[in-house]
Amino acid sequence: MQQWLELATVLLFLSNLAMLGLSELGACVRTVAFQGILLGFITLIVRQEGLSVRLLILSVMSIGLKGFVFPFLLLRSIREAGVRREVEPFVGYVTSVVGGLLMLAVSMWISARIPATATAMSSFQIPVALSTIFTGLFLVVSRRKALNQVIGYLVFESGIYMFGITAVGEIPFLIELGVLLDVFVAVFVMGIAMNHINREFDHIDADQLSSLKG
Amino acid sequence: MNYNLLLGLLLFVPCAGAAICIAIRAPGRILAAMCTTVMVWALITLKLCLEVFSRGPIQAADRVFYVDALSAYHLCVMMLVFVASSVYAIGYFKEEIRSERITRRGLHQYAGLWCGALAAMTLSLISNNLGIMWVGIEATTLLTAFLICIPRKAASIEAMWKYLMICSIGVAFAFLGTLLIAAASGGLHLSRSETLLWTQLRVSASALNPMLLKMGFLCLLVGYGTKAGLAPLHNWLPDAHSQAPAPVSAIFSGFMLNAALYCILRYVPIVEQATGRVGWSLQLLSLFGIISIIVSAAFIIFQHDVKRLLAYHSVEHIGIITLAFGLGGLGTFAALFHTLNHSICKTLSFFAAGRLGQTYDTHDMTKMSGTLASAPVWGTALFGSLLALIGVAPFALFMSEFQVLRAAIDSRAIVWMILFLAGSGIVFVGALRHAIAMAWGEPVSVAVPESTGMIEKFLAFAPIAVLLVLGVWIPGPLLAAMKQAASVLRGF
Repeated sequence: MQQWLELATVLLFLSNLAMLGLSELGACVRTVAFQGILLGFITLIVRQEGLSVRLLILSVMSIGLKGFVFPFLLLRSIREAGVRREVEPFVGYVTSVVGGLLMLAVSMWISARIPATATAMSSFQIPVALSTIFTGLFLVVSRRKALNQVIGYLVFESGIYMFGITAVGEIPFLIELGVLLDVFVAVFVMGIAMNHINREFDHIDADQLSSLKG
Repeated sequence: MNYNLLLGLLLFVPCAGAAICIAIRAPGRILAAMCTTVMVWALITLKLCLEVFSRGPIQAADRVFYVDALSAYHLCVMMLVFVASSVYAIGYFKEEIRSERITRRGLHQYAGLWCGALAAMTLSLISNNLGIMWVGIEATTLLTAFLICIPRKAASIEAMWKYLMICSIGVAFAFLGTLLIAAASGGLHLSRSETLLWTQLRVSASALNPMLLKMGFLCLLVGYGTKAGLAPLHNWLPDAHSQAPAPVSAIFSGFMLNAALYCILRYVPIVEQATGRVGWSLQLLSLFGIISIIVSAAFIIFQHDVKRLLAYHSVEHIGIITLAFGLGGLGTFAALFHTLNHSICKTLSFFAAGRLGQTYDTHDMTKMSGTLASAPVWGTALFGSLLALIGVAPFALFMSEFQVLRAAIDSRAIVWMILFLAGSGIVFVGALRHAIAMAWGEPVSVAVPESTGMIEKFLAFAPIAVLLVLGVWIPGPLLAAMKQAASVLRGF
């Protein structure tokens, strides 16, 4: 189990880096889908006490929503808006990837200060969870397309989810489901919002939404 | 008394109301159905709050729900804001329908989401489980996002997107904070259903891990603080408040901000107890409060749009409330009193701004001059509420701000006091200039002459009367309720 968990964690981190370096929107969505499936897999093997119905349901929900439903919604938005790639992000791709590595370093520094995270099996999970959170935030603020901001939000959520399943043992099942449902509705709502933007402005460049000031 | 039934109804009524509002076809009846829903909900809330204030905290459904004086007090404020805004919405949307700014679909959307937002905010106020409280706030964000873009136009869609993105990220931070709090209770070996129960954490606060608790509280403060509109996390607020229809701006400013602040407050006694009662979390609250007051003061001077002006007033007042909670002691009481005063006053001022906006067909203050002559009812209401907002005596807001000052002196927070006075001074001068220019400026021609019925006149003048009365005399039951609510926060 241990080596599978470590492999999945490393893959999660690499997918973060990929997201920072990719310009094509479709590829970003597919990477997010990959992350969702990875997280579903990690949910299954992260607990030492083995499988339970609760973990199984969570895992299936996570894989189903993040791996298939969200990408479907987002890819449809891409088709409708007719955009293929982020042209000029505020921060260049190479700088972003270097930034991603720096974020991992900072995350390691922080997680060394989090006391006794006893439930984490591998010492690498908390830093990767934190760096996923940072990557999400970075994507939200550094990309122009509204779609990329939604992707950033999803990465951010994935980071929090990863942190939740590794650092916190006992969360009521109802809340875990509530959170997944909330994320689902959030993505759905953001999708509709993007449609509105697309219809009203004929583009989905969030940085051009700047008429309201001061 | 079966509290399970009462609390269940409190959540069921708005949900059922939302479904009915969406199902009804006749445009005239949609708003009537919405109003009826809110009234029924208000009656149940009233019953519940009376129980709490007379008999003490209520628990129900295996401790999932918990209503104490603090939540009951906030429920009462919420009730006032929602009832008034729902009645006002009828008159406001009648004019919007007449001038064809809203379609039947928009009306459906509005009424359904309105009832949904009511349910979500109620959920976060009555839940004992801090995770469910979070779910309530997140649901509020998602439900109210589309209330902003009725009617749909470029500027309102822009405001909606900013609100959606900034608040979603903010509220996700709050979830990270909630997780850290759950991790802090790891040493207690609580069962899964007990992990995030407020009552449980409150009792065993001393055994929580202080380091994780502090990290969690920081995330919570940033997360819910974004939703509460605390500077420098307030960027979404002026856009959303200025673009939303007036009744929506009223509930945003009158209660949604307070609901988010309430969530932060829930954690304060726990964090204080666990960190050795040194006022660590209280000082953070004061800091955010002061920053909000100063930042909003700077922006108030340069506003042209009346609803943006009111939005920055919201940042200022939520800052004052946060500062007062942070001061502790008398400050806690002053903060609760100020919450009530501000909600009444801000609801009224958004009502007036909305109707005047229809009368003049603009929200630009330079084009809305001579309001006292052209639109006597709502012009007077706006002028009166602006005076109250900047803290003119003898309005109740002056009294509560005065108590905040006293609290600052009591706790020897002289720097806070000076900054607070400077901020309020700038706001006073800046906003008074706008208010006088609007009230007595050269009257301009209006797009639609003002016509108001009895109900609208009541909505315009009753809040001013209430604020004047509260400024000189607080009724006994209200005083007792506020003291009980303050003791929930002070009892650490």
